[in-house]
Amino acid sequence: MALGLLDALGIWTFCSLLLRGEYWMAVGLAVALALINWIYLSKRTYPLKYLFPGLFFLVLFVLYPIGYNIYIAFTNYGTGHILSKEQAIAQIESRLYLPPDAETFDYVVFQEEGGTGFAFLLYPKEGPALFAREGEVVPVAPGVPGFLDQDGDGVVDGAEGYRRLGLPEVVQNLSTLQAMEFPYGEKILRMTSLQEFAAFERRYRYDPEKDVMVDLLSGTGYRPVEGFFTSPEGEALLPGFTIFVGGRNFFALVTNPQISGPFFRVFAWTFAYAFFSVILTFALGLFLAYHLNNPYLRFRKTYRMLLIVPYAIPAFISVLMWRGFFNPEVGVFNQILYSLFGIKIPWLQDPFWAKVALLLNNLWLGFPYMMIISLGALQSIPEELHEAAQIDGASTWQRFWRITFPLLLVSLAPLLIGSFAFNFNNFTNIYLLTEGRPPIPGAQTPAGSTDILISYTYRLAFEGQRGNQYGLASAVSILIFFIIGTISWINFRFTRALEEVSENV
Amino acid sequence: MQKLGILVLAVLLVGVLGLASEPGKLIVWCDETRAPALAEAAQKFTAAYGVPVEVQEVPFGDIRGNLAVTAPTGEGPDVIIGPHDWIGELIYNGLLEPLVLPADLLAQFDPASLEAFSWAGELYGLPYATECVALIYNKDLVPEPPATFEELIEIAKVLTDPEKGQYGFLIQQPDPYHTFPLHSAYGGYVFGATPEGTLDPCDIGLDNEGSIKGAMLLDRLVKEGIEFAGADYQTVTGLFNEGLLAMFIGGPWTLPDIQAAGINYGVAKIPPIEGNIPRPFVGVQGFMISAFSENRLLAHMFLKDFLATKEVMLAIYERGQRPPAYLPALAELADNPDIQAFAASAADGIPMPKIPEMGSVWGAWSDALELIVSQKLGPEEAMKNAAEQIRTLLGCK
Repeated sequence: MALGLLDALGIWTFCSLLLRGEYWMAVGLAVALALINWIYLSKRTYPLKYLFPGLFFLVLFVLYPIGYNIYIAFTNYGTGHILSKEQAIAQIESRLYLPPDAETFDYVVFQEEGGTGFAFLLYPKEGPALFAREGEVVPVAPGVPGFLDQDGDGVVDGAEGYRRLGLPEVVQNLSTLQAMEFPYGEKILRMTSLQEFAAFERRYRYDPEKDVMVDLLSGTGYRPVEGFFTSPEGEALLPGFTIFVGGRNFFALVTNPQISGPFFRVFAWTFAYAFFSVILTFALGLFLAYHLNNPYLRFRKTYRMLLIVPYAIPAFISVLMWRGFFNPEVGVFNQILYSLFGIKIPWLQDPFWAKVALLLNNLWLGFPYMMIISLGALQSIPEELHEAAQIDGASTWQRFWRITFPLLLVSLAPLLIGSFAFNFNNFTNIYLLTEGRPPIPGAQTPAGSTDILISYTYRLAFEGQRGNQYGLASAVSILIFFIIGTISWINFRFTRALEEVSENV
Repeated sequence: MQKLGILVLAVLLVGVLGLASEPGKLIVWCDETRAPALAEAAQKFTAAYGVPVEVQEVPFGDIRGNLAVTAPTGEGPDVIIGPHDWIGELIYNGLLEPLVLPADLLAQFDPASLEAFSWAGELYGLPYATECVALIYNKDLVPEPPATFEELIEIAKVLTDPEKGQYGFLIQQPDPYHTFPLHSAYGGYVFGATPEGTLDPCDIGLDNEGSIKGAMLLDRLVKEGIEFAGADYQTVTGLFNEGLLAMFIGGPWTLPDIQAAGINYGVAKIPPIEGNIPRPFVGVQGFMISAFSENRLLAHMFLKDFLATKEVMLAIYERGQRPPAYLPALAELADNPDIQAFAASAADGIPMPKIPEMGSVWGAWSDALELIVSQKLGPEEAMKNAAEQIRTLLGCK
């Protein structure tokens, strides 16, 4: 039943895609539909039935964006280069210009009786009327067969087989009418307003063999250079287009001083931020979980509920509120500190304190998660181990460090690594709380003291340069991916060593 | 199987009907603050010409990026709204269509606003509002606006009492847009003009004598205890709306909240600094037509015959409270002192530079201001550093 509905939806989408000319997407959809039907109807693909939804969304939301990202990283897609070369050529070539002495025409619109074609009668200042239809312009004078002079003023104003359109109908069809062009000698006749046609001239012509765009007015030839059509003097035609630049975005990471300069400093802080975030949240979360696990503690459920609250509030809102708390003059923290100790800490203005503020904020946001997973892991440790250790005379501290903690790490290590990777790229928290500020005085590029790699990339790609440089941003994000991947891989190897240790317990 | 067949048939039928959309439909993108005003105008257009106009709400910061992505694929809007400083980047990306308007219609607009939307001699947008910052003050604390900036500083010093949480004067920081009047009063500028009438991205005036003097004035405000670090937009407007701040530099967008808070406020031009007139950035908002629109003439008609009328311009003003750029509508508001004050402030202003390189300027300039306010760098060094950073970023050496 569900399969039937899905098929119906798929077929409808397939038809609408075809109608809109999106052939690749339609083919992709047809293949996916066929695959789904085969998997769910065939008897041989039983395990695939359960795997398939996960695989499908993995491909759609993870693999496809990664692939597209890698593709973009090798182009110069960005401000000034968002069109494809064909689109840029079409735009430049379509530039007609109206010379100041251009001929203008009054006109009347007709539609084929019983058909859908449109035609115009154009009235130049001198000479006979022109009948424009299907890309052709023919002069007609009274007496030419097929054309009528209904009011007898010597000027043709009707055509057989066509009926005149009134203003409302003209407006209804304006998008079609305005696009109709008629060659007239060397010029092009086009509608300029509801009252006039004018004779335009083409400004540019593209020569596909020589790959040159020629300016017909001045005779200059523009060749494609770095995504712009450029004249020999260096003048570029707008708009530009996207081209492959190979590994240039990647080399820029090393050779461009704006990017490579602060790189190590920013990388060091990113690593420190992720590392300390994990350590601090895990320590607090484990501490709370350990005590919440104690069956003799009263009001456990209440504590648990209250402690989940930071996790439940959307991070966006809570971070912005914390930003208000950290305000040095009117923020809550400084007001409390001032009334108790008489000091005011420059929270977000001083590089060191800004980092402390970020870590405190992340601690508040992250400990509930650690608490929950630690609770789960703690409950999975069998009680007999603790009892055996007690009988053997181990103290509480020894019991914790020698038995509980290694077993916890076995199950929690992957989650800790995941948390590290998440915080390494935690753009939202940094951007909302400090925007990467305070700025480093005397820096060569606008880098902030609390910028992490990804927020620095964001600033470079979208707030520096001329507009948005998606190609550069993609390249840097791939680099970050490799960094995190390597760190995670190393960590996984390390924790596998831990697992072997615990097997001997 | 039979059920499946019927289902498929039904869906196909619905699909075919749904795909038969009408030609000649206009899609307008604007943000949620302006959409209601446009929706009324759109209904009138549809009633008059029978062409549906769909006003879609898109967050302001996303309009430019979304246009860049959707327009080349043919999925984009026909008309967008936006400030004039976008046109450099949009033209660079080949996304805007020039407008051709009759001379008598052009004469009904504020010439500076038309100038703001022009590029290389062509008009790319129909302006509807001008906005700039001015001095907003609490009449209960400051009955008469100060006549000079020195007077403003004196009043502010008297009224500032951090112990009680009261402040005399604040400029939100780090914010180059709001601080620019201080720089420009002394002759500072961002990009210098070329003889052809465009801007030279490599002639950066942020470290010239005028800009540095403006930065020194900001430094003085901090040293005299008037301005404090961390005074961002929320802090400044929050304090003013609670009656704890006497004066601040702000734009017409702050007025709705001030009125809701019931503060007895007044708007005045920023007073002259040592005899020099402060010249704030003027932003002009307008309607622009996408180059990829399939309904260009319709869009032209919508703009020319329908939006450029007093009723519609006043309706847009009602929602946004910004001085209209359409002179007949502005004349209608002659007895609104706030609008007249903002319009007077704008008359002295400089249009915000619209070349795409402008985007590179904000980061470095705002860092410089932050360093000055937190007293980590002197004003001269901070501005010089910022200008150097910008030159490096733009590759001007």
